[in-house]
Amino acid sequence: MNPEEPRPRVDASMDLLNDIVRTPIDPDYQVVPGGARRSRGWVVALVTLAGGLLIGASLAGTLRQAPQVQTEREDLLARVQAASDRVGELELAIAGVEQENRELSSAGTGGEESRTAAEEARLAVLAGTVAVRGPGVVVVVDDGTADATGARVVDADLRQLVNQLWRSGAEAISINGHRVTSRTAIRSAGDAVTVNYRSLTRPYRVEAIGDAAAMVADFPDSPAGQWWGYLQQNFGVGFQLTTSDELTLPADQGVAAAGATASTGR
Amino acid sequence: MYAILGLLVGVALGVFLQPVMPTALQPYLPIAIVAALDAMFGGARAYLEHTFSDRVFVVSFVSNVLIAALIVWIGDQIGVGTQLSTAVVVVLGIRIFTNAAAIRRSLFHA
Repeated sequence: MNPEEPRPRVDASMDLLNDIVRTPIDPDYQVVPGGARRSRGWVVALVTLAGGLLIGASLAGTLRQAPQVQTEREDLLARVQAASDRVGELELAIAGVEQENRELSSAGTGGEESRTAAEEARLAVLAGTVAVRGPGVVVVVDDGTADATGARVVDADLRQLVNQLWRSGAEAISINGHRVTSRTAIRSAGDAVTVNYRSLTRPYRVEAIGDAAAMVADFPDSPAGQWWGYLQQNFGVGFQLTTSDELTLPADQGVAAAGATASTGR
Repeated sequence: MYAILGLLVGVALGVFLQPVMPTALQPYLPIAIVAALDAMFGGARAYLEHTFSDRVFVVSFVSNVLIAALIVWIGDQIGVGTQLSTAVVVVLGIRIFTNAAAIRRSLFHA
């Protein structure tokens, strides 16, 4: 309200905009008596200096923030770029996997069947249900000349020999034409050695398909080798280990499972 | 003129020294600046109308700045800080424009 108005208007208290516009400067400038109107330069300069400081500080803050904002923006842009690159990579990977899926399903059960057949063939070789051939070693043993009980080749001797051959990497073994499988028993029945419950007659010819070099090299130092060395030296037991490039081992038909099936599915 | 010299030196000091404002006072800096501008324009107008008094100038400057900041602070406390700062800026803005117009009239007689 302008103090110079002699009488306040009726709407003076509500005349906000008028008031603002009409008294834009401090009314005190008008009421200060003329004699007191001084303008000391240093006082004014001090006050405007304070105002300038306020403005300058604010300005400096804004200037400081600008590069920061720019940095953040660039960081965000880089992150977005990296993320979209990653999305692209993943999409490529998805496309690749889908392509692979299509190929596999188009190969269909045919591919699966061929794999199963190959697996079956491999297992049949190991299980002894098919005849096999390949390089390996031949061991021919015979009873000794000495007149003693130890001079006879017994089931335990053959078991040691066969187990050592397995240990050295034999893949298929037969004794006198009888295939040795997981169900083969090498036992004695009376005076005879039996394999697959069939009596054998001496000499015993053990054929093993596999890594011939390893089997020959491993044998002398193995327990079986030492045992047979002992037999040879003390009882004159015949033992002859030779390698062969081509051996043919028959199948063991008795190994086929008739009543048993796998208790757990694969 | 000392006033303009002081203003320029103040701005330069503020920019180059970058005085650290207490974080609590940071939100009130813009409002304080508007209030200071208002006081300075008022002083300039009074000077041109030959009614300038340094005492009134100092008092109006300090009280303008303090009251503007106080109003916004109270607004912040009761949850209408932004609205009140808008109100302060509007009122002071109008005054600044009016004073600027009066200064223009005094200087150029237009």
